[in-house]
Amino acid sequence: MQESISTFQKPPIRYSQKSVLIIEDFAEFARSLRGMMTTMGSKKIHLVYNGEDAIQACKEKKYDIILSDYNLGDSKDGQQILEELHHFNLLKTNSVFIMITAENTTAMVMGALEYQPDSYLTKPFNGNLLKSRLDKAIIKKDLLAPTARLMRKKQWAEALDLAEQTAKENPKYRMACLRHKYQCLKELRRYDAALELTTQLVNERPIPWAMLGVGEIFYAKKELQRATDLFTDMTKEFPMALEGYDWLAKIQYQLGLVVEAQQTLSKAVDRSPKALKRQKLLGKIAEENEDIQTMSSAFRQAVKFGKNSAFASPDEFIKLTKSIGMQLKGTEDVDRKKLLNEAESVFNKLNKRFKEDPKIQFRSAIAHADFSSITDDKDNVEKYLKTANRLYDRIEEHLGSAESIEISESLKYLGQNELAECILEEAVEQYFDDPKFIQKASKLTTNKHLIENSKKANQYNNKAIHFFKNKDFNLAIDFFKKASEIAPNNVNINLNQVQALLKRSQANSSNKEADLKSAEQILAGITRLGPQDARFTRYSELNRLTQLMIQNL
Amino acid sequence: MTKPNDIFSTILASTVHDMKNSLGMMLDALDSILSETPKTKTNPQYGIVQYESSRVNSSLMQLLAIYKIENNQLPFNPAYHSVYDFLEEQIMIHEPLLTAKGFSYSLDVEEEAEAAFDDVLISMVVSNIVGNAIRYAHSKILVSAEITDTLCITICDDGPGYPAPMLELVGDYMLGINQSTGSTGLGLFFAHQVANLHAHGGKTGCIDLKNGGPLGGGIFQIKIP
Repeated sequence: MQESISTFQKPPIRYSQKSVLIIEDFAEFARSLRGMMTTMGSKKIHLVYNGEDAIQACKEKKYDIILSDYNLGDSKDGQQILEELHHFNLLKTNSVFIMITAENTTAMVMGALEYQPDSYLTKPFNGNLLKSRLDKAIIKKDLLAPTARLMRKKQWAEALDLAEQTAKENPKYRMACLRHKYQCLKELRRYDAALELTTQLVNERPIPWAMLGVGEIFYAKKELQRATDLFTDMTKEFPMALEGYDWLAKIQYQLGLVVEAQQTLSKAVDRSPKALKRQKLLGKIAEENEDIQTMSSAFRQAVKFGKNSAFASPDEFIKLTKSIGMQLKGTEDVDRKKLLNEAESVFNKLNKRFKEDPKIQFRSAIAHADFSSITDDKDNVEKYLKTANRLYDRIEEHLGSAESIEISESLKYLGQNELAECILEEAVEQYFDDPKFIQKASKLTTNKHLIENSKKANQYNNKAIHFFKNKDFNLAIDFFKKASEIAPNNVNINLNQVQALLKRSQANSSNKEADLKSAEQILAGITRLGPQDARFTRYSELNRLTQLMIQNL
Repeated sequence: MTKPNDIFSTILASTVHDMKNSLGMMLDALDSILSETPKTKTNPQYGIVQYESSRVNSSLMQLLAIYKIENNQLPFNPAYHSVYDFLEEQIMIHEPLLTAKGFSYSLDVEEEAEAAFDDVLISMVVSNIVGNAIRYAHSKILVSAEITDTLCITICDDGPGYPAPMLELVGDYMLGINQSTGSTGLGLFFAHQVANLHAHGGKTGCIDLKNGGPLGGGIFQIKIP
């Protein structure tokens, strides 16, 4: 039993050594927070008034303590900040993030389970309470950080051992350690052990993360029916844990139950409209179901809530205008003027938001021309096609596979055959190894050789990969070269060839210098790969390796 | 389509939000006045002002929460929490009042025990009851918890105890609304609702009121399976 406030036995936390970031748009309250932190001894306190400045501040320096208001007026909200900080790796494993809320509103409390703050504080609160929360969060985070660090480095086996040990030594944090343990087991593909751990927890008492865990493992073990049952139960037991709906929809979609998948996602979106990714997925599935109303509403919300998000993309803008176009074409009675105005405003927003990117401007112009043709607005069709043609020469990066299909579809529809074939040709050269893409492209193109050639290149590439796997680097390189002759700009083949050259130069010392030089040359020829491209990481890594090996010659 | 309930809920939420902001600003202003006066001259009555505003605040929160429970809009989010840390914090919320009254408190909980409950909801219940206990106590409060397959939190004080009519109400807290005594019954009704949300293994949570116990005053108990 403890008597009175003065007998705390825990070691004091040295707040003077901790860097603090306060994110609060309300100046009065920001000052009061700063006052509370100063009383605790903090000296390094930085204050920002909106989410954008908060992200910038965290890029410049990693903070020990972040106090963020949830509601930041017109800027990103606290949950968006937290998710972006996670996504861009701007938090230390022992950084403490406290979310300050005005009240316990539903849409917010259930941010993604994996991106929860260390604590929520509801206004108003006093300095003692803040200190008590911070003390506890810091002690807990410091204790769990060594395991979290190993997990961040993907050293799952070591992390698993450490999590077990930490749990033994600190029964107070048993649950948090078990959660780490589960993640490690899952990553190590020790599914039976992971399932045993989560099932046992759920049998004691269903808690959201453990229930999610059981379902994830059923899915990993390809027991789709059991996974479906579990996630259905989960949505009933915890209707606000939205991951349950996401998983259920994902499985339903895979099982071909596309309508059911849409219904499931709709329920999640009703509960929390702010999640961008979920809105986009709902829009995409609704498009497949030809449910234009839902498609419009999902992409409309995605545009709306993406306003302050780092995860916004041109897709939702273009898809929204596309769905508006479909409504205009349809037979249902709609307010045409309102829809037209909306579409124009969406194009404006899109062009403004991505004004530095000619690729997106190009895509937008084509979509705009396509849209104008629906209302038979010939002047605008011509105007936007002109803009598109002008922008086309300024594009410096490869267009994505889905974008290429979307754009050439529109161009064909608008009678712009030449440009459409041009884009298809480039795209087929880049993405011939994607069967879904080739299927769509072959429906669009009138150039029979295009698809045949792509099949040939694909065969050579596959053969070469086969030789590469068997460590026959000479033959692998020969076949990559053959594929490259058909598709000289294909980034994947070029990178494959570089990788094979590097391997051969490691295995065999005679051609070392020549191999490395050709690798360097191939890499130098890759000039249209943007940093957003999925292949960019591999490119950078191979570039770094090549340079390193040349230096060590 | 927006249902009338949604509209009411939105108005209720935004009004509560607004009132809470006002309360917050009031307290901040008071804080800055206090920071300009030397510590020795600080009037202990400050703690009372703080407590009374936090009472208004928690009533507003409870009102909103009850509305949401009735409309199935309240997120129920059980997770495992350290019972000691949790209860210590419920007392900490009232630290200014404790200081103002010069009270001591005792916390009797096993340090390492975890239990599953919705901390946001249970905090609204327990901090409210702790505040009440401090308000009616002479000099002492005791918060304790027993953890078996049920978590049982007990709050005792050395005050005059609960009035007899209130003790008879167990199970029907709406009847506690009595304008002449100023008791709205809101706190107990809310506690009852929150306890009821916590159902596990065929059992449902409940609350109990008694007088006597180690400190001879009121005893409040909430049991969470």
